[in-house]
Amino acid sequence: MKKLILAASILMAVYSCKKAEGAKTENTTETSSEAPKSNNKIVTLSGGITEIVSALGHEKEIVGTDVTSTYPATLKATAKDLGHVRSMTIEPIMAVSPTLILASDKDINPDLLGKIKSSGIQAEVFKQEYTIEGTKKLIADVAKAIGNTDYQKLNDKIDADLKQIQPIAKKPKVLFIYARGNMLMVSGKNTPMASLIGLAGGENAVNDFEDFKPLTPEAVVKANPDILFFFETGLQGAGGNEGALKMPGVAQTNAGKNKKIIAMDGGLVSGFGPRLGEAAVELNKLLIENTK
Amino acid sequence: MRTQSKLYFYLIVSALLLVILAVVALYTGVYDFNGASPFSVLGQLIKGDPGLALNDKYVIWDVRAARIIMAILIGSMLAVSGTSLQGLFKNPLATGEAIGLTSGATLLAAIAIVLGGHFKQYLPEVVQFSLVGISAFLGALLAMMLVYRISTSAGKTNVVMMLLSGVAITSIGFSITGFLIYISKDEQLRDLTFWNMGSLAAATWTKNIVLTVVLIISYIVLLPKGKALNAMMLGEKDAEHLGINVEKLKKQIVIITSLMVGTCVAFSGTIGFIGLIVPYILRLLFKSNYVFILPLSAVLGSILLLTADTISRSIVAPSELPIGILTSLIGGPVFIAILIKFKKSL
Repeated sequence: MKKLILAASILMAVYSCKKAEGAKTENTTETSSEAPKSNNKIVTLSGGITEIVSALGHEKEIVGTDVTSTYPATLKATAKDLGHVRSMTIEPIMAVSPTLILASDKDINPDLLGKIKSSGIQAEVFKQEYTIEGTKKLIADVAKAIGNTDYQKLNDKIDADLKQIQPIAKKPKVLFIYARGNMLMVSGKNTPMASLIGLAGGENAVNDFEDFKPLTPEAVVKANPDILFFFETGLQGAGGNEGALKMPGVAQTNAGKNKKIIAMDGGLVSGFGPRLGEAAVELNKLLIENTK
Repeated sequence: MRTQSKLYFYLIVSALLLVILAVVALYTGVYDFNGASPFSVLGQLIKGDPGLALNDKYVIWDVRAARIIMAILIGSMLAVSGTSLQGLFKNPLATGEAIGLTSGATLLAAIAIVLGGHFKQYLPEVVQFSLVGISAFLGALLAMMLVYRISTSAGKTNVVMMLLSGVAITSIGFSITGFLIYISKDEQLRDLTFWNMGSLAAATWTKNIVLTVVLIISYIVLLPKGKALNAMMLGEKDAEHLGINVEKLKKQIVIITSLMVGTCVAFSGTIGFIGLIVPYILRLLFKSNYVFILPLSAVLGSILLLTADTISRSIVAPSELPIGILTSLIGGPVFIAILIKFKKSL
């Protein structure tokens, strides 16, 4: 029963993530050297990949996405939401009759992967690395998969954005807290958050494990972060800044004492797609504001 | 002879119901065959029609049909294993989950996945499945032997001991499995819901072939044992006098139920309560006459699991509910009903 409640709360959290964002859509109406193949019907199963396909001007070809694909917001009207890649099954994917399935190797359920492979539909599963180079490689790979070689401008944009990052003299220790229902997880090494914190001039507060681990009060006190970092939806779910300060162990840390809590859009933080530079700049600004 | 013809009548009626349900299940799903009925698509497939679209073929055969057949096979085996266990322990509360078979199977399956992960890529698919399947069988068998040793002496089963040793084995199994899942990097293992709630989403024909082989072997041994189990109800001494080899019968039930439960757990995780609900319903109809309830549980188990699975994949489409939620929802109240009914005799 507990699990059911947890599952339901995860679902609620996930659905609440899907709020429309500020209209910041880029117009990629430049004609590329190769005319985009418009007869493709693409299913994209990761926020970052969805963004890349859209930024290359193929948004119209996307017929289905996963829940992490929150950007561009216009997709909501045109692509079917297929749920979370951990619990997705093959039939709803087949129901949108895709000609191409693009997925990330992160998080995808192995049974689903097996089914996708045996379905005979062309599918690409990309190795995703949460680095600048990894993102550029992903952009190049996705572009190749959809037959559009005009991707250099996306990589250039990332570089241009990253140049705007201001160095921070004293690197703040940042603890990312992932609030799902009443389960609090913190991000260790090799997570998109840790990587983004590094790019933005901060330091990830916990580095003695990989991926996500449940948060313990002692570990929080020991890590003693200067800033707490949340997804906007996660912070809302945890009861806003008030709720975050009441979390076990937080009051004893620098972040708790100085009430330094920041939040960003989940899709922007964890996408590691064309908006990587934007995300790093936004976080960099937030860190600078909160280290004064 | 009259009982024979009565039994056949019930078997045929329930088999027909199962066929109707299978057709309904074939029509249930989010994929649309461009207006064609799933039945005609299946017909095209069987005829080998070259005009059949690849996607249609895949969905009808490798997704829906594979899953329906898996539900039929697993539901049937879980129900029969429950019925035979209750005959062996002479108690309506004995089921795979209650006495720890399921968690024993889960534990060894998880260990096999962790260890097997290191050389998985060198093994053909059938061997991989068999490895996990065999481990799950051994886990169930060990749990079974342990519970039987602890709870039964001189042919008498102490129910409290049986249930308590089941609880103990379940908690040990759960904790070790939980630890393995926690430290594991293996995607397959990380899926906790699969192990705790079960799922038929990963049905494939390879798995169905393995399951069918296990089912046929098991049923050849078990299904004719109705009369012997009826005799066991009188007590083991009396059964011996009637010419039944009690020791051999007990050994067969122990091994075969472990085999069935183990295989089902390896392929579909923990789907609870089928082995409890089905015999219970049949007992309401036929008292404890195993000549009836053993073969009928084979069909009723399929009916129940196929219904539950069809609901689970249509109720929250396009995603699906873990099937264990549905079976437990029906099973929990039945368990309580049994407890109340047998309050005095437990």
